[in-house]
Amino acid sequence: MNTVNSVASVYSPPFRIVAKYFIAAIVSFVVLNLMLTLSYKDISGHHFQPKILSITHIATLGFITMIIFGAMFQLVPVVLEVKLFSTVLAEIQFWIFSAGVILLVYKFWNFGSELSFTLPAILLNAAMLIFSINIIASMIKVKKWNLTGTYLASSIFWMLTTAVAGLLLSINLDTPFIKISHLQYLKLHAITAFVGWVAMVVMGVSYKLIPMFTLSHDYKLNLAKWAVILINIGLLGVNWIMHYPDTKFYNTLFGSLIFIGMLLYLIQIYIIFNKRIRKKLDIGLKFTAVALIILTITALLNFSFLFFNYENVINLTLVYGILFLIGFASMLIVGQMYKIVPFLVWYHKYSSKVGIEKVPMLKDMFNETFAEYQFYLMISGLIISIIALSFQMQILLLIGFSILFISSIIFSLNMMKIFRS
Amino acid sequence: MTTTITKERITDILRTVIDPEIGINIVDLGLVYEINISDNLIDITMTLTTPGCPMHGSITDWVKRIIEMTIPNVGVNVNLVWEPKWTPDKMSDEAKLQLGM
Repeated sequence: MNTVNSVASVYSPPFRIVAKYFIAAIVSFVVLNLMLTLSYKDISGHHFQPKILSITHIATLGFITMIIFGAMFQLVPVVLEVKLFSTVLAEIQFWIFSAGVILLVYKFWNFGSELSFTLPAILLNAAMLIFSINIIASMIKVKKWNLTGTYLASSIFWMLTTAVAGLLLSINLDTPFIKISHLQYLKLHAITAFVGWVAMVVMGVSYKLIPMFTLSHDYKLNLAKWAVILINIGLLGVNWIMHYPDTKFYNTLFGSLIFIGMLLYLIQIYIIFNKRIRKKLDIGLKFTAVALIILTITALLNFSFLFFNYENVINLTLVYGILFLIGFASMLIVGQMYKIVPFLVWYHKYSSKVGIEKVPMLKDMFNETFAEYQFYLMISGLIISIIALSFQMQILLLIGFSILFISSIIFSLNMMKIFRS
Repeated sequence: MTTTITKERITDILRTVIDPEIGINIVDLGLVYEINISDNLIDITMTLTTPGCPMHGSITDWVKRIIEMTIPNVGVNVNLVWEPKWTPDKMSDEAKLQLGM
C-alpha cells in the first residue's frame, strides 16, 4: 500500500473569499431574472439590443463567471493538489470585476448614458488577467497533472480571448474601428464565451464532481480526452477563419469539430451517470441531469445552424440564448450549488466539531421541498418562456419570466438558509 | 479500571464518523482497510471513495480526534491510501441497501 503523503499540501482558500464570489453571483442571479421580467416587451426580434445585451452580461459575467471564479478558487487547489497562488489577488480581483460588471450592465441598460463602454471593458479585462495569473501561477506548481487541469487551462485561454474580443467590441461601440462586421465579431465573442469558457469549465469540473456525487466507478475517460482536443481545434479554427471572407466550408468544418467534441462529452457523462452507485438522484443532480439534456438540445441546434439558414425564424437566436444561459448554464450551476455551498459552509463551520457535538448532514442545511418547488418552477418557467418567444406571445412571456423570477427568489432564500446554518 | 483496546472497539468508534454528503459511516462505506494496535499506538489505514475528494484532509483528522477523545492516552496514526482502490463491493450490505443498490 502506498501511503498518500500529500494531504498536508492540499490547501483550500479562506472561506470568505469563495463566499464573497458566491453571494455576489446569487444576487446577480436574482437581478438577472428580475431584469428579464421587467424587459419582457423588449425581448423580441434581433439579439443586438441594449436590454438583451445587458441581461446577457449580468448572466454571463455577474452570475456564471462570478460562480466559476469562486468555484475555481476552491476546486483548483483540491483537484490539482496545489495551494492557491494568492488570496490577496483573488480579493482585489473581486472588487475590480464587480465594478466592471455593474458598469457594463448599467451602460447596456442605459444605452444613451455618457459612460463609455471602454471603461467597464478595461476593468473586466484587468480582473480576468489577475484571475488568469493567479490560477496559472498555482497550476505551474502542480506535480500530478490531470484531465480536468487541461480543461481548466484551456478555459482560461478562451476566457481571455473572449475578454479581449469584448474589449475590442467595446472600443468599437465608442469609436468604430473594426474592419469586419461588428455583428460578426460579436458572434465570435459569444461562441468563444459559451463554448470555450462556460462549457469548457463545466465539462472539466463535471468529470470530477459528478462521479464524486454519484459514486460512479469503473469507467474510462477516453471520450473526454478527445472532446477537449476537438473543441480546442474547432474553436481555434472558428476564431481564425472569422477574419476572412467566404469561409462557409471551413466554418462548417470547425463548427462540426466543436459539435463532435460536445457530443463526446455528453456520451462520456452519460456513461458516468450510468455507472453510478447512488441510484436515486438528489435535487442537485436532478438540476444537473436536466441541464445536460438541455445542453444536448442547444448543441444540436448549434450544429443545425451550420447547414440551415434560419433567418426567417423569428426569435430563434433568443430561444437559443435562453436555452443555453437559463436552461443549461443556470440550471447546472443552481444544481451544483445545492451540492457545493452546503459542503463549503459545513466544512467551515462544523468540520472542527465532528466527534465533539452533533453536526448536520449536508442535505439538512437547506429546505429540500423548497428546492424541489424551485426545480419544477424553473423548468415550467423555461418551457413557457420558450413557447412564448417562439409564438410571439408577450403576456405568456411575462408569465414565463415571472415564474423564473419566483424560482430565483426561492433559490436565494435556500442559499441564505445554508449560509446562516 | 481500564478497558482493553480491541479492533472491534475501534471499529465501533469509527462507525460514528459519518460522511456528511452520503450519510453513511466510514466503516460501512468500506473506507477502513486495516486497524493495527500495538501497546498504546493505533494505526489505521483507510481510503476515500474518490481521489481529490475535498474531505481529504478532514476525515483523517476526525478519525484521529474521535479515537483520542474516546480512549485517552493513546496515540493514533491515520494512513490515507489510494491502493487498493476503493470499489463499491467494499461496502456493507446495509450501506448498499441505503444507496439503493
